[in-house]
Amino acid sequence: MNMPIFALVLLPFAAAFLCRAVGRKNEENCAVVSTACCALTFALCILCAVFAYGESLKIPIFGFSFSLGGFHAVYGIVSAFMWSASALLSHQYFKGHHNKSRYNFFLLLTLGATMGVFLSADLFTTFIFFEIMSFTSYVWVVQEQTDEAMAAGKTYITIAALGGMVALMGLFLLYNITGTLEIDVLYEAVSASGKSAKLYVCAFCLLFGFGAKAGMFPLHIWLPKAHPVAPAPASALLSGVLTKAGVFGILVITGHILRDDKIWGYTLLALAVVTMVLGAVLAVFSVNLKRTLACSSLSQIGFILTGVSMITLLGEENALAANGTFLYMINHSVVKLVLFLAAGAIYMSAHTLDLNKLRGFGRGKPFLAVIFLVGACSLAGVPGFCGYISKTLVHESIVEYAHHAGTLITVVEWLFLFSGGLTVAYMTKLFVAIFIEKGSGDGKKMKLSLASKLALIFSAIPLIVLGILPHALSEKITQTMLPLANGHAFHHAVEYTAWANLKGVLISLLIGAVVYFVFVRTLLIKRKDGRKTYICPWSDKLSLENLVYVPVCKGFIAAFGALLAFFDKLPERLIGAGIFVLSVICRAADDVTDFFALLLRKTVLGDTKEIQVRHKHRVAYAVGSVLDKLTSSEEHTHAKKFSRVMETVSHTTSRIFGNFSFALLMACLGICTILLLLIFVF
Amino acid sequence: MFILVMAVVFPLVCGLIVPFLKNIESRKAKLSLVIAMQAVESVFCALIIFSQTMRTGVFKITDVITLGFSSDMLAKFFLGIICVGWLLVLLYACVYMKHEKDEERFFSFMLLSEGAMVGAALSAGLVSMYVFYEFVTLFSAPLVIHSLSKESVAAAKKYLYYSVAGAFAALFGIFVLSGECSLEFAAGGNLENASPLALAAVFVMCVGFGAKAGMFPLHGWLPTAHPVAPAPASALLSAIIAKAGVLAIIRTVFFTVGADVLFGTWVQTALLCLCLLTVLMGSMMAYREKVFKKRLAYSTVSQISYVLCGLFLFTEAGVEGALLQILFHAIVKVGLFLCCGALIFLYGKTNVDEVHGMGRKMPVTFSCFTLLSLSLIGIPPTGGFISKWYLASASLESSLGVFAWLVPVVLLASALLTAGYLLSISIHAFFPREGSAQTMEIRKEPVLMLIPIVILAILCLLGGLFAAPVTDIIGRIASSVM
Repeated sequence: MNMPIFALVLLPFAAAFLCRAVGRKNEENCAVVSTACCALTFALCILCAVFAYGESLKIPIFGFSFSLGGFHAVYGIVSAFMWSASALLSHQYFKGHHNKSRYNFFLLLTLGATMGVFLSADLFTTFIFFEIMSFTSYVWVVQEQTDEAMAAGKTYITIAALGGMVALMGLFLLYNITGTLEIDVLYEAVSASGKSAKLYVCAFCLLFGFGAKAGMFPLHIWLPKAHPVAPAPASALLSGVLTKAGVFGILVITGHILRDDKIWGYTLLALAVVTMVLGAVLAVFSVNLKRTLACSSLSQIGFILTGVSMITLLGEENALAANGTFLYMINHSVVKLVLFLAAGAIYMSAHTLDLNKLRGFGRGKPFLAVIFLVGACSLAGVPGFCGYISKTLVHESIVEYAHHAGTLITVVEWLFLFSGGLTVAYMTKLFVAIFIEKGSGDGKKMKLSLASKLALIFSAIPLIVLGILPHALSEKITQTMLPLANGHAFHHAVEYTAWANLKGVLISLLIGAVVYFVFVRTLLIKRKDGRKTYICPWSDKLSLENLVYVPVCKGFIAAFGALLAFFDKLPERLIGAGIFVLSVICRAADDVTDFFALLLRKTVLGDTKEIQVRHKHRVAYAVGSVLDKLTSSEEHTHAKKFSRVMETVSHTTSRIFGNFSFALLMACLGICTILLLLIFVF
Repeated sequence: MFILVMAVVFPLVCGLIVPFLKNIESRKAKLSLVIAMQAVESVFCALIIFSQTMRTGVFKITDVITLGFSSDMLAKFFLGIICVGWLLVLLYACVYMKHEKDEERFFSFMLLSEGAMVGAALSAGLVSMYVFYEFVTLFSAPLVIHSLSKESVAAAKKYLYYSVAGAFAALFGIFVLSGECSLEFAAGGNLENASPLALAAVFVMCVGFGAKAGMFPLHGWLPTAHPVAPAPASALLSAIIAKAGVLAIIRTVFFTVGADVLFGTWVQTALLCLCLLTVLMGSMMAYREKVFKKRLAYSTVSQISYVLCGLFLFTEAGVEGALLQILFHAIVKVGLFLCCGALIFLYGKTNVDEVHGMGRKMPVTFSCFTLLSLSLIGIPPTGGFISKWYLASASLESSLGVFAWLVPVVLLASALLTAGYLLSISIHAFFPREGSAQTMEIRKEPVLMLIPIVILAILCLLGGLFAAPVTDIIGRIASSVM
């Protein structure tokens, strides 16, 4: 059994609850527990990678499957390393903050989930931990609970949920097509089933889901909002590791679902280039330290995805692209760790991230300046740092493909160099503003605790080591990762110091210098109240989210909601209307006989003319009088009685005679008489 | 065999006894007695579940109208859900009903409706199931009416009208079917060839029984009845009693008629259309709804139609997905209503806008609420994810053309709306905007109220984590249905 692999995932989860329990008594101890756990996971991860490299583990009862080879091992180590560094800094960062216990709880949960994602050997496991990671990291974004943080959190969780659902649809389709989700056998299963429209739908659904997490255009909207508002140690992880979980998924599609597929390659390339340029441009405009770094992440993801698309497009000759992309991922992870932790260190004492207020803050703080410079140089791709190696490899792969594919790719190459130039420009802008210029931030004291200093030093070291040992270390690491994206090994060694390779970086640096001096120094700095101020002409309103997504979603929900609300009430309305109509009909049916009776009475059955009844019946009265006389009755009793009887009789007969029935009776009698006459007489 | 009858009769008898407990002075003694009754019933259910399939002799009223019980796999499945659900809700109700009048009446009708539910689950033929189905409606209506307010009376009337109208529609179908085939349940169905009239009858029956399951067009009673009923009643109505409609549909479609006969007919198309419409409609209405319980009621409308979607695929995989969804929806929806009830009981808050910052005051309740919500949305590693996975892959496997991919798409769109209407509650509860912190006193959540909620939350998490054994059992039940 290779249970230690599972322990890597389980340990942080268990520690999270321990941390919560500890936090009930004393919140300060939470950070200790979480740092210890992160460090332990890191150590365990290295041990596992040494002693159990390439092993895999299946846990049928959970349906999980893990692997500890290649990419899985490397990124497991990178994640655990970054968590440790971030946790180390968070001791000082969170001093005086609320909800420390909550932060550490979710920090560890997310570590467990992230380890799960990177160690997963099938996409089902990946997805499960991916979703846990999305939702637990939400708490980081809203940790401060400001209005800004809540708004960013809303965008973050919306995109995460949406991405998760679409990716799930992709997995449903993939499972339906291939019958397996195991990464290693996926390619054979896909080739066996052949390419179909369904496969492309599936791949693009997955791209949507993983791309959303990676921060790929057009799903990047959460990234520049969420990274700046999260606490700095969390931003480092959001930016450095969580985006890579998205890239991991895209690499799986590249290497195992749509291997060497041109449609896939070009689509990804287009999206990647837009992301790369857009992020860099936004970063140049930004006047907030962490927002600049967040936009930079966006841009760097674009660089990485450009590399990924090159892996696909170059097919058999993708050695440069594959090695470059993997190294770029590691580089970006660590660079963002350094820079965000440095930003955190700055925020701890300056309590602001606004460049105009930070101006001059870094003067006389050489330790921080050196750390920041290492990160900036590696990000910009200055020779001697890890970023140079990775950027050169990806750049050379584009050059290589441009030989085959012509001008379009040459345009991509120039955009790549241009974005690299912008990277130089915005990092220069940050460095100059914070560490060189004089301003309001000047003279503010900063005290870093030993833990914070160690965190910063540890995180900066890999950038230099990987940069100066390209053949001995960097390429060795990336070579183990190649199978994930179906990358091929180098045919011949790359000369990193050759002029052809240095040329690309020099062009970028040149573009950066031009942009910085011509654009940033002139157009983005204005004089306000006699002071130079960085301005951001890029309005917040001018975002894809505010201009397109929110109105479209609102409109869609309103319209669709109204339609469905209509359906919701439809049965009740129909029943109401039905009852009304039925009651009208029933009432009509109920009254129909009466109606005919009334009609008949008013017409044929009505009384004939009223017959005048004589007041006194003379004959009866005379007979009565005679009787009265005979009985010598004084009162005319008989006369009155007789005349009254006769009156009634004549009244009744008159009614009988005046009646339609009597007429009918008479008619009947007549007919009968005629019949009898006919029968007997003739 | 005797135990089957006991399981049905015992709660009915208990229900009749409970009103006479009014004279007992001590509330504790009274409640202990009620709980003891429920415990005995749970033991009966457990005995049935863990023994072999049993059948009682058929009691013939006429040649067609027969009464009989049998405990097949499906009946055991429902029996398990019923007895666990009732036990947990009863524990909760002991605290919740403290402030309400006439709690004996409430407990009495709770037990009576349990008896009717058990009867419906154990019935061996369509007619006896129909009888118990009607009794479920009649016995559960007083639960809705409990507060005797004007709204609750109106709501109970609406509930009765809808359910009875649906049941009559179903009765028409039973008349027709009785001329075509045997009405005794048999796995795989009794009908060889479906005449157009029989198809129409099945359609009418599904729509009629769908009233209880909250399927469009007879879903209207759910959002009306839930807000006025006491929370334990809402929980039972929404999570379990509404499943009586599902049970009836399974028994009709799979045990009386036979799924093969219906596969690919217009009935399937029409029913799937109705279900998908209901799924989207319920979620959207829940998203727009501000009254907490009404939101949950609309959510039930949507979620039970997930089950029906799975059933109406008429495949074994579809049934498996549907049964998983029945299980996890029952767990989750009981839990959610109990959480909502705790909020009403302790703070009198009925609106979703009022939950700001309540997470800090009711940490356990809202932690469980969040976990249960994640399950309802279908986020791993909770049970809801498993059921959604099975439903979607069942649909994609089926050869239904457009519906094969439309079902998963609709399920996921609805899941997104579910996230919108449930997670927003958790977010407001746990992360109030700064400055909106209220200075309301903290009232401790009663332990007896928390126990059922925590158990349910743990169940739904474990169900998702240890998915393999759960799906194993459910898979066996599903294969026994076809």
